[in-house]
Amino acid sequence: MSGHPLTSAPEMSSLRHRITFGTSRSLAYVSVLELGTLWERTLRRGLVPLKYSQGFNPRPRMHFAAPLPVGCGSKADLLDLSLNEPRTSDAIIQSLAGVTPPGLTILDVVAVAPRVPALSEQLVEAEYQVWLREANQERLSTAVIRLLQASSVLLPKRGRRHRGKTYDLRPLIKTLGIEPNPKPDWTVLGMQLNARPGATGRPDEVLKALELTEIPRRCFRTRLILDHHLGGR
Amino acid sequence: MPIPVRQRSAEPQTGSPLSGQPLPWAQIEACLHRVQKPGRYVGGEYNATQRPWEAADLHICLAFPDLYDLGMSNFALMILYDLINSQPDLLAHRTYLPAPDMIELLRAQDLPLYALEDFHPVADFDLLAISTAYEQLYTNALELLDLSGIPLRSDQRDASHPLVIGGGHGTFNPEPITDFFDLFVIGEAEEVILELVEIVRQSHDASRPAQLRALAQVPGLYIPSLYRPCYAADGEFQGVVPNDAAAPAKVLKRMMPKLPPTPTRQLVPNVDTVHNRAVVEIHRGCTRGCRFCQAGSITRPVRERPVEEILASAEAIIDQTGYEELALLSLSSADYTHIRELIKRLRKQFAGRQVSLSLPSLRIDAFSIELAEMLTKGRRSGFTFAPEAGSDALRHRINKTISTEELLDVAEQVFTHGWRTIKLYFMIGLPTETDEDIEAIIDMAQRVRRIGYRIGGRKTEVRISVNTFIPKPHTTFQWEPLADKATVERRQERLKDGIRGRGLQLSWNPYRGSQLEALLARGDRRLNAVVERAWQLGARFDAWDDWRNQDAWDEAIGELPSETLRAHFSTAEALLDAYLERRRREDEVLPWDHLQSGIEKRFFLQDYQRSREGKLLADCRERCHGCGILQSFPDLRRETWQCPVIR
Repeated sequence: MSGHPLTSAPEMSSLRHRITFGTSRSLAYVSVLELGTLWERTLRRGLVPLKYSQGFNPRPRMHFAAPLPVGCGSKADLLDLSLNEPRTSDAIIQSLAGVTPPGLTILDVVAVAPRVPALSEQLVEAEYQVWLREANQERLSTAVIRLLQASSVLLPKRGRRHRGKTYDLRPLIKTLGIEPNPKPDWTVLGMQLNARPGATGRPDEVLKALELTEIPRRCFRTRLILDHHLGGR
Repeated sequence: MPIPVRQRSAEPQTGSPLSGQPLPWAQIEACLHRVQKPGRYVGGEYNATQRPWEAADLHICLAFPDLYDLGMSNFALMILYDLINSQPDLLAHRTYLPAPDMIELLRAQDLPLYALEDFHPVADFDLLAISTAYEQLYTNALELLDLSGIPLRSDQRDASHPLVIGGGHGTFNPEPITDFFDLFVIGEAEEVILELVEIVRQSHDASRPAQLRALAQVPGLYIPSLYRPCYAADGEFQGVVPNDAAAPAKVLKRMMPKLPPTPTRQLVPNVDTVHNRAVVEIHRGCTRGCRFCQAGSITRPVRERPVEEILASAEAIIDQTGYEELALLSLSSADYTHIRELIKRLRKQFAGRQVSLSLPSLRIDAFSIELAEMLTKGRRSGFTFAPEAGSDALRHRINKTISTEELLDVAEQVFTHGWRTIKLYFMIGLPTETDEDIEAIIDMAQRVRRIGYRIGGRKTEVRISVNTFIPKPHTTFQWEPLADKATVERRQERLKDGIRGRGLQLSWNPYRGSQLEALLARGDRRLNAVVERAWQLGARFDAWDDWRNQDAWDEAIGELPSETLRAHFSTAEALLDAYLERRRREDEVLPWDHLQSGIEKRFFLQDYQRSREGKLLADCRERCHGCGILQSFPDLRRETWQCPVIR
C-alpha cells in the first residue's frame, strides 16, 4: 500500500478517496446503517470498484466520519472509500452523476493518501443548525443562557443497556446560540458539539435539555471538524 | 383524450384545505420527529417516478394497507407501478398504512393520508387500488380509506371520489368486504389494469353507477354492487346473483398467457424493509397440487420465463438498483425447468460482483440441497423446509409426497453440507389429524435434532414453526371446518411440552388470530357489518400480535351488528359455528362460487375424495389430472405454458 501520493491531486488515480456529501429531505430520516446501504448501492450503480472485506459476509470498505442522527440532514459529511482499482476523483464524480437518490448531494471528492488515519480518529467536533418553528425566541434565549451557565446537565443515557444511568451533556457543548435567521417563522439554533469516541453530543439531546422535544424542527449538520494531527501510529 | 378537472361534490372529511394540491412538506415534517421510523413516511426512493402530476390525465394511487416495511416488499404492486408509469398519460403513486403513532398524529393534525411521491392526498387520485392480498389487511383497508377522508362504503361515494379497487389473492373471496370496494380485480391485475383505465377514461363524465356498469363489461372485474346475496329462510347462504343485466353470472379470473419480463427499475428503499432486495420472478403458478394451498390453485397454469430473459432482466435490475441480493421469486423454485442452468449462468454472470442469490421456496429433496449449495459460498446459516404434517399418512392426505425417512435423509445431507440450522414448517388442525400426528411432529423434530447434534455438534439448531390450518376457498379442502379451539390449544400445549430443550425452538400462532383469518377467508356478505363494526371499535393491524384488537372483534361479533345477522344467527357462537366449525356440504353453494379461478369445483371434489382415501395426486408436470384450467382458457392455450395435453 505504498507509492500513492500523500497529498491529493484530482488527476491522480488513487485507491482511497474522501467524499464530502450532503443529505436533505427524505434522506434526513435514515439511520446510519441505512445510509451505509444507500451509499453502497449508489456506488454500485455508478460501477465504482469498491473494495470489499474478506470472509463470509463481505462488506464494502467504507467509513463515515460520524453517524448522522435520525432526523438530521447534512450540509458537509465525510465518507472514506477504499477501491479495488485506482480511480481519479473526477472519475468518481462522473460515475455518480445520475445514480444518486433524491436528497443526496456530492459536494467534493478528493484522493486520500493511504496512511492518512481514519476519519473517526481525527474527528473532534461537529457543528449543527437546528431550525425551530413556533419557538418563543425570548424564552429560548433564556433557556440557552441557563444551559450554558450550568456546570453540569445530567441526562439519561440512551439505549436499554444503560437504563437508569445518566451522563453529563454540558461538557459536550462547545458553543450554543441563536443565529440570525433568514426566514421569519423560524428560529435558528447553532451549536458546536464534541464528537470524539465515547464523548459525542447529539443535537436532539441539547433540544431535550432546552425542553424543546415537541417543537417542529429541521436539523442539519453543517460542519465536521477534524484534527489532522490525531490518529494513526 | 384529456380529462377535464373534476368538480368534487363535497370536501373530503379530513381533507386538506388545499384540495387538489400536494401537502406542504413543512406540515409532514412537523410530525416526523415524534414518530418511530419516520423514513417510512417521506418517500424519495431511488427509481420512484419523478414525472410531474400534470404530465398525466389519470392518477392512480397504489396502496398496501400495512406498514411501508411490508408494502415495499410486495412485488405485485411493484409490477403495477412499473406498468402504469410506463404509460405516457398515466401516473401511479404509492401509499402505505402508517403505524399507529403516525396515524394518531395525522388525525390530531387533521392531515389526510398522502401518497409518497409528491405528497398528494390519496383522495385526489382518480383510482385507489388497495391490495387485499390476505384477510388480515381488511380492517387496515378501512383505516386507510378513513385516514384518506374517503367515505368507507361504496354507496356513500360518488364520481368525485377515487374509484376504490381491490386486488390480490384475497379477492378470490372478497365477500366480507364488498361494501367498501367499488370493484375487485379477479386474477392478475397487470393483464386487466389498462383495459380498466380505458373504460374509466371513456366514462369519466358518467355517474358512478353508470361507470360501474360499464366496467362490468371487462372480463375479470367483479363489481359487487351489481350482485345481491340470497339466503334461505333458515339463513343458509344460497348464492350471489346479478341484479343488473350488465353483470355476468360468474366472473372468471384474468391471467397473462405469457409473462412479460420482470420490471427492472425496481424501487430501492432508503430505510430498511422486510425484503430489501432485488426480485426476478422466474415462473408463476405451481403444479404440485398441495390440497391446502390456495396460492397453488389460483395462480395456475404454470408459466415459465425463458432463461435468457431472466439473465437479461437480472443484469438490468442489478444495474439499475445497485442491490447486493437477488431473489428468484416463485412458489417453488426447484420446479423451474431450467433451474440448474439458470443458477449456473447467474453465478457466472455475477462472479466477482458481490451479488448474492436467494431461492425463497425449496422443496424437500437432494436436488434442493444441490441448488442451495450452488448459491452459498461459505456461510451456511439456515435451511427451510415445509413438511406440513408429521406422519406419512397425513402428508398423503394433503398431497405432500415426501416420507419421513426421506426427510430425515435430506436433513442429514443438509447438516453434512455445513448448514447449522434447519427450519421446519408444520400445520396443525389438518383434516383427519389425530394426536398421533402431533406425536409424529415431535418425533421428527427430535430426530432431526439428533442428526444435527451428531453431525454438526451442539451449535446446530432445529426451529419448528407450527401454523393452524385454515381451510381456504378455491382449494381441495374448501369444505373443511376450522379445527376447534380446544383441540388446537391442546395440541399446541403438547407440542410445547415435546419440543423443548437445547437446540430446539418452537413457534406457533394464537388460535384467535387463526380463527379471525378463517372467518374472513370463508365469510359471505353478511360479515361486512362485522368488519365495519370491528374497525369502528378499534380493530386494525389484525396480522400483528402486538396490535391486533381481539376485544374489538369479540364485541363486534357478539353484537351481531345487522338485521340480517340477527335474523340468521341467534348468538355469536351460532355465527362462528356456521362459518367455521361445521363441515360444508358438498352440494352447498359456497360464498365464492361465482368467482372462478379456472379450476373446476368438480376437480376439487374428486381430489377431496382422493384425500379421504389417502391417495396421492402426481405433480401435473408428469400427467394432466384435468383440473379444468385448460378448458377455462381455451383461447389462451395457443400460448406456451407448462400444462401437458390431456390424454
